[in-house]
Amino acid sequence: MPNLQLKDIFKEFPGVIANDNVSLTVEKGEIHALLGENGAGKTTLMNILYGIYTKDVGTIIWKDEEVSFKSPRDAIESGIGMVHQHFMLVPTLSVAQNITLGIKDKGYPFNNRKKVVKDITELSKKYGLQVDPTQLISKLSVGARQRVEILKSLYRNAELLILDEPTAVLTPQETDNFFEILKKLKKEGHSVIIITHRIPEVIKITDKVTILKDGKNVATVKTSETNENELSNYMIGRSLKTFSSREEVIESEDNGLVLEHVGLNKKLKTLTDISFQVKKGEIFGIAGVDGNGQKELAEVIAGIRKPDSGTILIAGKNMNRASFKTRKKAGLAYITDDRHHEGLVLDMNVTENMILKDYDQEPFSKKSIINYNVVREKTEQRIKDYDIKTPGVKTPIRLLSGGNQQKVIIARELAVGPSVVLACQPTRGLDIGATEFVRQILINKRNEGLSILLISADLEEIVSICDRIAVIFEGRIVGIVKNGADLDLNKIGLMMAGHIGETVNS
Amino acid sequence: MKYTKELVSTLIIILITFLLAAVLIIVAKYDPGMALQSFFYGIFGSLHGFAEIMVRATPLILAGLGVSVAFSTGFFNIGAEGQLYMGAIAITFVGVFLPPMPPMLHIAVAILAGFLLGGIWAVIPGFLKAKYGVSEIITTIMFNYIAINIVGILVRTVLKNTESALPYSPVMPKSLSFPLLLYPTRLHGGLILALACAVLIYIIMKKTTIGYELRVVGFNKRAGTCSGISVYKNIVLASLISGGLAGLAGVSEIAGVHHRLLEGISPGYGYIAIIVALMGRNHPMGVIISAIGLSALQVGANSMQRQAGIPTSITSVLMGVIVLLALGKNIMFSGILKKMRIK
Repeated sequence: MPNLQLKDIFKEFPGVIANDNVSLTVEKGEIHALLGENGAGKTTLMNILYGIYTKDVGTIIWKDEEVSFKSPRDAIESGIGMVHQHFMLVPTLSVAQNITLGIKDKGYPFNNRKKVVKDITELSKKYGLQVDPTQLISKLSVGARQRVEILKSLYRNAELLILDEPTAVLTPQETDNFFEILKKLKKEGHSVIIITHRIPEVIKITDKVTILKDGKNVATVKTSETNENELSNYMIGRSLKTFSSREEVIESEDNGLVLEHVGLNKKLKTLTDISFQVKKGEIFGIAGVDGNGQKELAEVIAGIRKPDSGTILIAGKNMNRASFKTRKKAGLAYITDDRHHEGLVLDMNVTENMILKDYDQEPFSKKSIINYNVVREKTEQRIKDYDIKTPGVKTPIRLLSGGNQQKVIIARELAVGPSVVLACQPTRGLDIGATEFVRQILINKRNEGLSILLISADLEEIVSICDRIAVIFEGRIVGIVKNGADLDLNKIGLMMAGHIGETVNS
Repeated sequence: MKYTKELVSTLIIILITFLLAAVLIIVAKYDPGMALQSFFYGIFGSLHGFAEIMVRATPLILAGLGVSVAFSTGFFNIGAEGQLYMGAIAITFVGVFLPPMPPMLHIAVAILAGFLLGGIWAVIPGFLKAKYGVSEIITTIMFNYIAINIVGILVRTVLKNTESALPYSPVMPKSLSFPLLLYPTRLHGGLILALACAVLIYIIMKKTTIGYELRVVGFNKRAGTCSGISVYKNIVLASLISGGLAGLAGVSEIAGVHHRLLEGISPGYGYIAIIVALMGRNHPMGVIISAIGLSALQVGANSMQRQAGIPTSITSVLMGVIVLLALGKNIMFSGILKKMRIK
């Protein structure tokens, strides 16, 4: 007897059919993957189940009863919990306070804090979700925050957990730990739905997979009876692309970007003595576990932060004191890792976002007057060139999918002919199609002779497209190695954990 | 689609406001029919009513534009009232202390002085916010009290009319008066200044790089910083424009209505301007419409008081309700709108 049944769910947003008669069945104690590219309707479907959206047509049967949740509160009371991709936690409150937020237990508002802490500790031991209930959320790592979110649902007696892109923000170690938790949940009889677009994870952890494409059911298969290629075919209509057959580098001795002994925040050692050169026609990768100074490094190069020491040269010019705009004029393009907060103005439309970095340059504006005819023409051209899927040039950028938002950023950054590209986590949160697109563009730009600095926590990405790889650990470059067939991944893994490696500078 | 939605929710707001007004009038034991009649007579009954609405709308448009520019940049300027008074002080100083000048030049100097002094009054909180993160909501409100009391001091000391015992400034020279547009009503040239400013602000905000930067900073400061747009510069600039426009409202009140500085020249225009900006959705056209709408409400209420004896304080209640409805309309009316679309 299935625990949860979604039958022929139909949901239309103005101009888009998000779910077109989608069905989904989840058994008790099953880990079920909802697989599909961004914009396939996975999150919409789960938001309908969770009571955030209301369905237009269709039936939801939960534990033999037809239900229609009016709000997440209803869903939670019925034993369904959801962990969103962007965590819903209050950073200034403790773990226990976050977990019990909104619950009116016996004795409210004077809860028995000690009992709450004890209960949470027991719960976390039972499922292997290690957290300290008295710790502040702001002090926790991303992985720990996710554990708090899961605990939050379990504390509310969730029998079905919906996890939206749970591994998108985790390091490899944290991902392994997360899989262990899933296994324990399954053993305790919980059902889990994982929304994802990462095929290897689906194979590794789930029992069943339902694939969505363009808001429609494509297939539902048992994980044990399928393989990566089949899933990829279902999901994007073709097999995965590999980048191993890259053209050989056009060797050049010219450096596009040079950092010499760059340091930031000497007391905290945010960055210490960073030196490297990115040659023309080279993709230089910075690997490392998230939070080891990558973001700060990117901002120092982009001119958003000023370094305390060292020298930064872009196209041979000293840029130490230069503003972002000066660096941009010198040929720097910056693809930020935080689309929503740094790369785009979500309340503006596609056209306005397309000129965010060069609104004050000709031909977009002359003497402070913006020529919106030219801007619109250029935007339409770039929408075509980069295959950006948008209903129109005046569509609020908020309504575009993550992949298309990223394409807008890349189109904007690369269209003006830069010589150095600084790409910080450029594929984070993107689906496979968009990820491949971004990587291919970086490779194309390399082949055109640009210097590309790729900062990524995704080691697979670094290894698949970079020519040389530097590893950053606690704000230091611990080693630089040349990429190739003889690359020792084990050694890179060790360097990511802080072991000093070799340095190749040729 | 978007506009019908706006229209329908505006109509709902007007309907609710009228119903509430009727309830209040009945509860206070007045005749609602008489009230309604005198309300609309006050607005549409005579040329004088129309002119009076425009006279009141003029400072509301100017100060409302100012507030809307600040709001668009994420600077919550609650201090238009104080900035208005600083503008009034500026024109009075020009009139009292500067030598006589040709009329056009004289008024131009006064407008410039009013814009600058009003602007400076807002730039100080703007600077404090941009540089030190001091809440502009607190500082701008506090600056209102300072400005109002500076007026009180000035009209008793430096700017006092020595020929009178009352706390007034001398009457401004003729060259510092706006022309009357519709004699014998009070309608004056300030309205043209206000409308011209609305056009100018529309062009600046929507068509120029200056407005583009201001809006980017208003929507997303971090994205601005990461694109080389200075948050500091734009907040200071927004506060200057904002305070300047509110200052012009003060200039217009002196040059068009009072012709000399005295206490209490503004019946809370600077505060109503906040409502104007909110209801006008920070769009110059919206500001003009809501400024005229709110001043019509007041003119109608005055007529109601004269003819039916109903206290004008009822409008304060209604304005409060309008603000709540205007701010919450998207949430409150979404159900109604949905039903209407399906049927």
